[in-house]
Amino acid sequence: MRSLQPIVAGLRNSKLMANKKARLAVVILLPILFLTAIAPLLPLQAPLETNLRAMMQPPSFEHPFGTDKMGRDILSRTLEGVKVSLFVGFSVAAIALVAGMIFGTLAGFFGGVIDRLIMTVVDIFLAFPSLLLAIGLVAVVGTGLVPVILAISMADVPRFIRLQRSQVLSLRSRAFIDAARTVHASQAWMMRRHIAPNTIAPMLVAGSIAAANAILVEASLSFLGLGIMPPAPSLGNIIRDGQMYLQQAWWISTLPGLVILLIAISLHFLSDGVREALDPRSRG
Amino acid sequence: MNFQPPQSGTLLDVQDLCTEFRTDGGTVKAVNKVSFRVDKGERVAIVGESGSGKSAMAMSLLRLLAHPGKVTGGRVMLEDRDLSLLSERQLNTIRGREVGTVFQDPMSSLDPVMRVSKQMVEPIMRNLGISKEKARAQAVRWLDKVGIPEPELRIDAFPFEMSGGMRQRVMIAMALSCHPRLIIADEPTTALDVTIQAQIVAMLKDLTTEAGAAMLFITHDLGLVARFADKVAVMYAGQIVEFGPVGGIFSEPQHPYTQSLLRTIPSPGMLKETRLPQIPGLPPDMRKPMTGCPFRERCAAAQPDCASKMPPLTPRAKGHTAACWVPEGLGESNLKPESRSVPKNATPLDRERHVTVEINNLVKHFTSNSMLFPSKRSVVKAVNGINLRVLKGETLGIVGESGCGKSTVARMLLGLEASTSGEIFTDGLAQMVFQDPSSSFNPKMKIADIIEEPLMVKNWGDRDSRAKRVGELIDQVGLEPTHLTRYPNQLSGGQRQRVAVARALALKPSVVVADEPTSALDVSVRAQIINLLADLKQDLGISFVFISHDLLTVRYIADRIAVMYLGEVVEYGPAEDVFSRPVHPYTRALIDAVPIPDPKLEAGRQSTPLTGELPSPLNIPKGCSFVTRCPMATEICHAEKPVLQKHRKSREAACHHAI
Repeated sequence: MRSLQPIVAGLRNSKLMANKKARLAVVILLPILFLTAIAPLLPLQAPLETNLRAMMQPPSFEHPFGTDKMGRDILSRTLEGVKVSLFVGFSVAAIALVAGMIFGTLAGFFGGVIDRLIMTVVDIFLAFPSLLLAIGLVAVVGTGLVPVILAISMADVPRFIRLQRSQVLSLRSRAFIDAARTVHASQAWMMRRHIAPNTIAPMLVAGSIAAANAILVEASLSFLGLGIMPPAPSLGNIIRDGQMYLQQAWWISTLPGLVILLIAISLHFLSDGVREALDPRSRG
Repeated sequence: MNFQPPQSGTLLDVQDLCTEFRTDGGTVKAVNKVSFRVDKGERVAIVGESGSGKSAMAMSLLRLLAHPGKVTGGRVMLEDRDLSLLSERQLNTIRGREVGTVFQDPMSSLDPVMRVSKQMVEPIMRNLGISKEKARAQAVRWLDKVGIPEPELRIDAFPFEMSGGMRQRVMIAMALSCHPRLIIADEPTTALDVTIQAQIVAMLKDLTTEAGAAMLFITHDLGLVARFADKVAVMYAGQIVEFGPVGGIFSEPQHPYTQSLLRTIPSPGMLKETRLPQIPGLPPDMRKPMTGCPFRERCAAAQPDCASKMPPLTPRAKGHTAACWVPEGLGESNLKPESRSVPKNATPLDRERHVTVEINNLVKHFTSNSMLFPSKRSVVKAVNGINLRVLKGETLGIVGESGCGKSTVARMLLGLEASTSGEIFTDGLAQMVFQDPSSSFNPKMKIADIIEEPLMVKNWGDRDSRAKRVGELIDQVGLEPTHLTRYPNQLSGGQRQRVAVARALALKPSVVVADEPTSALDVSVRAQIINLLADLKQDLGISFVFISHDLLTVRYIADRIAVMYLGEVVEYGPAEDVFSRPVHPYTRALIDAVPIPDPKLEAGRQSTPLTGELPSPLNIPKGCSFVTRCPMATEICHAEKPVLQKHRKSREAACHHAI
């Protein structure tokens, strides 16, 4: 815990935390993360445990989010689902960020054949709607957590490559790159010292939007029965389960839906906050 | 009824005009109680450095300021109407109709998706109340007057189909077309080449005189003021510090700032052994509340009074007014040119000396590849076989209009661009000082890391010896150790250019290429950097290649000059020689185009501005490449390309009619 202290102190004083949107995002995200982390310690029924004597119970003290048709606790399942969602979101963002940085830098920095090769593949991927692409890939590779992450990343990576490439192209003509070239700095040196530090910020902004998007896509896939397979909970398949009972038991779909909404909105706020904190011009 | 507008009397009377910009960092009083008058048909220049409030002042007159700027006080009388009391709607009938405006960047003042005809015809119809056909005919006539060839055709062009000079002509035609009585021109020629600037300034002068329009001309170029203006207002930190007729201001400047400013510009024929006088320090931070005279911290004549109260504009000699507490005559600035100590054995142009750079038959062609239409391939001939030498410890100045290939030569010399053919020999490393001090540095790196970078790339010494070297370097370029921990955006333009010089010197290069190193800097800071480069050349024996369109500076700093035109060297020789007795007609035209900050000299010059623009390097004329603009061109010039030949003792020029 001691090692966290400077980070916390740094965050508190940072420009990011001075930003209203970013603060709101943290205020929403932190409790959700906290509850998810301590879920096993909470006095809740296990996510997969059924209780046929308490089916379709409305929200109560014992079951804050109510129960579903098999008497499973919705809150406990939702928290388990959030875990899946966040894992998917951050994995996709990380994969897209790393792959985007690598291939985008290569394409933008070297140009020529390498650029044309990478960008042709990117353009082909960009020609498909991302959800359809993910559905197609899941259909081929199969369902489950890892295929879902890979499928969603496939749709995001090309966008990140484009973004990084355009950043590198505009940096490449800056005079400080020329200055480094006049002392014959190696290409690795320029990428490490000049390109990476000056391109990472917009990539992080894009990354947090991609995470929000990935969470929504994962929920959509699971809702369609192509993502996380029941009985393992995911926000998408919980909503799908409750969809048929919307008239009798509104809580089954609505409450997990609200949680998705909160997570997605706060990730978008976070990305706005990061962007505004890094770009002095847009401070309002 | 008298249809002729009266040519005397006050047209514009500005009293105590105040403008503020409210920003996060505090309130900037950009214009602070500015008062002046413009008489009918008079040309008044507003001179000042960036941040002096000259543009904000001009924009405030017609309330054209963008957020967060706001006019907070004062009166603007246009004859008998107070513009500050008019509604936005009433002002709109004055803008364009009675007061025309020309701004620095014509590309952003013209609508890029609208044909010129549409942009010109509509205001004329509205303001003069005439039919569309008549308005179009008028517009064509104005385009003809401002020197646009084939105006009937060009009027239907889009702005992007025109060159920068052409667009500025269109802006001037638009401003004049509604017969305004006042034209506000904000740095109208700053983005243009000297030759085009000379044409436009001459044209503006003629047309405003012809139309009897008064003019408010905002500029930082004292040379232009001397060439163009009747009266001058010198602005510093949001205030007018001196105002009066142009002759008096230049011959007997009263305010220490004006005096210093005039001395920091190299005058023609100034000896290279003399250091330029330089104004110490920087303009004040406008966000801080100001008491007293804003110039006092940089002023050698400052007295205790200066800190407590802002001096008012009071009458001085020769009909002008100055805002200074120091009595007339005593305020003489102590900026005297001082001598540079010259080593006894130095022989500036010694032929036997060591050659640092040798360029032989250098050629650079850029080919644009069209994948779909291979036949549409076009070749831009940027550099067409040039030969140059730079001796050890010598400065070679390269001058020419933009597009003449001077920067391409520099990039090849630095190894940033491969040559198409030809050879470049350098004895040691070539390093560079760039034009734009804001893009020269990685914004995420501290100054210490920026200067250390070349050393680290070359694995020079260990950490301690590198830090020691960085310390030496910042001392050499006149920076403080406290600057080392800052980021580039925390330094001023002049300081950043010093960092750039330090970085260039880190590896002890044999030649430093400086591409327009002072053109982004303010006049008062420019002299500091020029002195620095001249001192370094002498102290370290480094060779310099100095590329600039600022001919007065090149004349002062360079030992030898190469004049380039369309990728070729047309004249080459010792700097003072080339400038005082140019051999090639292009060199002569270039020198004629440069305004000299001295109204007496300007009045005596009979400059014939170069006609036309630089031909496209895609399509270089046959024969002599200068033939399309040359006043002396004859048949042989169209038929045969002149080669670089010896003229007089030490000169080379490529011309059939070399004088």
